[in-house]
Amino acid sequence: MNLTNDPFDPNIDLWNECGERSQSEEAAPTSIADFVISPKEKETQAFLSKRKFATGDPGSVTQRALENSVMKGIFGDDLSRRRFLKAVGASTAYTAISSLIPFHSLQAMVDDAMKKIEKKDLKIGFVPITCATPIIGGHALDFFKKYGLNVDIIKTAGWAVARDKCMNGEYDASHLLAPMPAAMSLGLGSASQDWRMVTNVNTNGQAIVLANKHKDKNDPKLWKGFKFGVPFEYSMHNLLLRLYVAEHGIDPDKDIQIRVIPPPEMVANLRAENVDGYLAPDPFNQRAVYDGVGFIHKLTKDIWDQHPCCCFGISQKFIDENPNTFIVLLTAILDATNTVELRQNRVAFAEAMSPRNYLNQPSAVLKQILTGIYPDGLGNIKNVPDRISFMPYPAQSMGVWILSQMKRWGYISKDIDFKSASDEIFLSTETESAMKAMSEKNRNVKWSDIPASKYPVYDVYGKEFDPGKVIEYIDSFEIKRS
Amino acid sequence: MNVQFRLKAAVLSALMFIVFVVLWHGLTFQQSHETEGIPLTSEQSALLKASGMSESDMQAYAAKGLVFEQIQQIAGLGLSSADIDAAGGIESFGFTTGGAAEEAKTGFPSPSLVWEEAYEQIRDPFYDKGPNDKGIGIQLKYSLLRVGAGFLLAVLVSIPAGFLIGMSPLVNLAFTPFVQILKPISPLAWLPVALYIIKDSEKASIFVIFVCSIWPMLLNTAFGVASVKRDYINIARTLELSKFRTALTVILPAAAPTIFTGMKISIGIAWLVIVAAEMVIGGIGMGYFVWNEWNGLNLASMIFAIFVIGIVGLLLDFVIGRLIAVTDYKE
Amino acid sequence: MKYYVRAELLKKSFPSHDRSSGEYVVFENLSLGLKKGEFTTCIGHSGCGKSTILNIFAGLEKPTQGGSFVGNRSIDRPGLDRAVVFQNHSLLPWLSTLKNVMFAVRARWPEWSGAEVEKHSRRYLKLVGLEGSVSRKPFQLSGGMRQRVGIARAFAIKADLLLMDEPFGALDALTRGVIQDELIRLWSKTDQTVFMITHDIDEAILLSDRILLMTNGPKATVAESVVIDIPRPRDRATIIHHPNYYPIRNHLVEFLVKRSKQLSPEAGTDSCSADQVKDKPSLIFPPEVRPQQETTTSVPEAAH
Ligand SMILES: Nc1ncnc2c1ncn2[C@@H]1O[C@H](COP(=O)(O)OP(=O)(O)OP(=O)(O)O)[C@@H](O)[C@H]1O
Ligand SMILES: [Mg+2]
Repeated sequence: MNLTNDPFDPNIDLWNECGERSQSEEAAPTSIADFVISPKEKETQAFLSKRKFATGDPGSVTQRALENSVMKGIFGDDLSRRRFLKAVGASTAYTAISSLIPFHSLQAMVDDAMKKIEKKDLKIGFVPITCATPIIGGHALDFFKKYGLNVDIIKTAGWAVARDKCMNGEYDASHLLAPMPAAMSLGLGSASQDWRMVTNVNTNGQAIVLANKHKDKNDPKLWKGFKFGVPFEYSMHNLLLRLYVAEHGIDPDKDIQIRVIPPPEMVANLRAENVDGYLAPDPFNQRAVYDGVGFIHKLTKDIWDQHPCCCFGISQKFIDENPNTFIVLLTAILDATNTVELRQNRVAFAEAMSPRNYLNQPSAVLKQILTGIYPDGLGNIKNVPDRISFMPYPAQSMGVWILSQMKRWGYISKDIDFKSASDEIFLSTETESAMKAMSEKNRNVKWSDIPASKYPVYDVYGKEFDPGKVIEYIDSFEIKRS
Repeated sequence: MNVQFRLKAAVLSALMFIVFVVLWHGLTFQQSHETEGIPLTSEQSALLKASGMSESDMQAYAAKGLVFEQIQQIAGLGLSSADIDAAGGIESFGFTTGGAAEEAKTGFPSPSLVWEEAYEQIRDPFYDKGPNDKGIGIQLKYSLLRVGAGFLLAVLVSIPAGFLIGMSPLVNLAFTPFVQILKPISPLAWLPVALYIIKDSEKASIFVIFVCSIWPMLLNTAFGVASVKRDYINIARTLELSKFRTALTVILPAAAPTIFTGMKISIGIAWLVIVAAEMVIGGIGMGYFVWNEWNGLNLASMIFAIFVIGIVGLLLDFVIGRLIAVTDYKE
Repeated sequence: MKYYVRAELLKKSFPSHDRSSGEYVVFENLSLGLKKGEFTTCIGHSGCGKSTILNIFAGLEKPTQGGSFVGNRSIDRPGLDRAVVFQNHSLLPWLSTLKNVMFAVRARWPEWSGAEVEKHSRRYLKLVGLEGSVSRKPFQLSGGMRQRVGIARAFAIKADLLLMDEPFGALDALTRGVIQDELIRLWSKTDQTVFMITHDIDEAILLSDRILLMTNGPKATVAESVVIDIPRPRDRATIIHHPNYYPIRNHLVEFLVKRSKQLSPEAGTDSCSADQVKDKPSLIFPPEVRPQQETTTSVPEAAH
């Protein structure tokens, strides 16, 4: 089902939009402005254009999804729906049907979707790092069950395997690195398959760690010849490390060596002195301190506050085939994300994620990370409450920034339209409406991260990033590959 | 005499093991040292009090070995003892030994620690606490199933193929370049390729086992078949046995010890590889178990797993060794 | 047709070890025949090519030139009509004594039940005196015992032509005697044709109807076909008293000591040199010789 088609439009085929997105191919899938309006019936046209105007409200996509399923439920097939709409006119039909069913309640949509879950048993992959807290803790604390989903979360050894298992259909959805859906959709480093970045499972939450022997080199200018580990090529870790060292005059491709190391192997490699440091996700930063192997040089939060990190990724195919499941799953993730963002819940999440089935880490380490009260390995105690944050909104600007850096470092060689690529891959509209649906139901749920514009401007390490001026932004860097 | 000889060897083995464990214990033994508190001076107490820290808190920190500067930091950050406890407690901060964080907290585990871990695992080998935490028995079962499936497939392919190659010098020569090119490829290098092509990590790992076990069996079968004594085949020829019956009743038993030797090499490699493959693919199995413990940096658990892997390898070797003994013949 | 089993103008050569001399010719234009139901022995120095001839009859080896026949069938592969006792007593080492014999019996009569096969096999093992060792593996047997298993196996399949390559070589005199007697008893009851290779002159005289004498290699030939004019049944104790015994024996010894060397083409006195220069050599079977008390008469034999 395509969420963007107006079920009250008699000139589109509601049923055939399910599998192949034939019609919406020319329109951006998230863009509501492009659907076809019948020119014939005046009244219907007026009604539909009014509804089109009303869709300025971001909640309307989910509303439309609800209407879609209701209309499909009432009319057994598309022909009778079209006949009915043509006979009585769309606005009359709308009034008649909405008097029976309260379309206006967004929450009703989630409730309705819960009744129509296409696929109850889901397999979701995760890499055992604290970034995936909404997924891991969400599972441990029964957030999926709460929404009627029977989810198995499967630990994955590294990002390449996670990607392959996603593409092979072994996972219905997965914890991915924020740039991965883009890389997968563009076919960078793998075959191309349409994957969507649904929410940020976390923001911040990374750090640069150096081996203890470099305590006297706590300045990036002194890092020439260092070897660094990052968890994956298409990761915020890699992009942030590159940005950070480049800002200090170190060329990440020439002056240092960056190698890919699966997160769990970071500490072992640091201990064995295979690397001088790494930019990795937690718990492996704090674990290096806990094991007395390294110290925290810098939290990435101090490079770009509220930067994206890991995401909840899902394939477009899954969304198309299981629209209700998708909405419910998204809501469950958002619920868990919102819950763990609240400080009073963090200790509970840390404890829930400690066992072998989940992160398999000492709970003390997880607590230090989630509370943000931690030793830095240099003898200091720090208190950084937003060391890791859980802000789900996948702003399009984030996608544009990621693409801009992938372009900057030559991962993308062809010229791309940054905005439309990001539009397609970052499902900010869907996520936003699900977020709003939640706060509508529960007044206590508040989201601080939904920006006024889909394209907010960011301050990234002291430099303004305007998604409208990507080329200028890339050009402004001295060290770059393109 | 023979029994006595074996007994002596067993005693020697046991002795070596004991020496090994004692050495291990000696090297990993750590005196649990008392943390030495550094009493605060009255000026320091006053300073801390001024930043809002309670008397009891500061005394507790000092007693646990924190230096004044660290206590002052805590006070400066406005952290209550409840905050510190929420963050895992001050003991987990690595300061309690007097401030140096570089002193490794998690050294190499002692034998008793490994035994504790092993005992926990052996006591309940089939527990199931979700998809990522299952007992060692279940992990073993999955690894053995994968090895079994891949190995069996390899047997089904390599024995007939080995016969073909061994019986025909032409086929032998034609196959040689492929075998020589494919044989030295690390089975793990096949893993990404298999994942890409097969699109199923379970089947991909079985495929990897298949690929790694096929070569020793193929080559040994071919060699065994090719070097069957001409005389044995002449017996079959004078008795007008069909090619198939000759293969089954003369060549197969004649080459069996060589074939089983190939199998022994194969199963050894397969067992090595499955652990490595599961470490990459994850999910379930001994390799996943080791990886999961590595991920949590639980060395004791990993060492236990390594022992288990070794012992299972030994058993697999023993089983095929028995087959060799049964089929072996003296001329 | 005079000879039932024939080798006609056989040549067997191997690529030479040293490259210069082209090929090593074991024999060339070699012809010989065995009469149906006769017991023929072949004597010659080691390496002259006796086993090669036997293997060609068995169908296990192909001659470089020429052909061999049983009746009017050309021999091109081994078959159950010919039983072979190998020089090196080839047994299947993973099978017990009994199983080794049963292996052949089952191949000969596939329609037999297991019990029948076993009973038949046991009978022949008993004939060679191995009833007590049926379940032993070949490596647990002495060389002589292994040879006897091979003999039992060959006897058991009751082949038309029995080919034996030094079957009693490894046996002590007593056992040898017993099995020789058994062999003759079995042979006389059937019309088996026997071709046997031996180095033992007395054994050859005792058992044979005719003895083929081979010159030394390379390019060996069958020089004579010595007819043993001693009536059967023969007894090993009394045979030496037969008037023909010593003339035959002396003839054989003289051949082996002197003439086998002189007749060899390498030695220059090549009896067949006339044939060899011809483009197509004619088929001449070895002349029959009957050493007797008074005189030695030779009747040359021509083919067909
Ligand atoms: N494969 C071979 N390559 C080269 N020469 C061979 C080969 N096989 C046999 N010969 C030669 O053929 C000749 C005849 O061999 P054969 O085994 O027939 O001798 P033999 O008369 O049976 O000797 P013995 O009495 O010792 O058994 C020998 O000189 C041997 O060296
Ligand atoms: Mg011989």
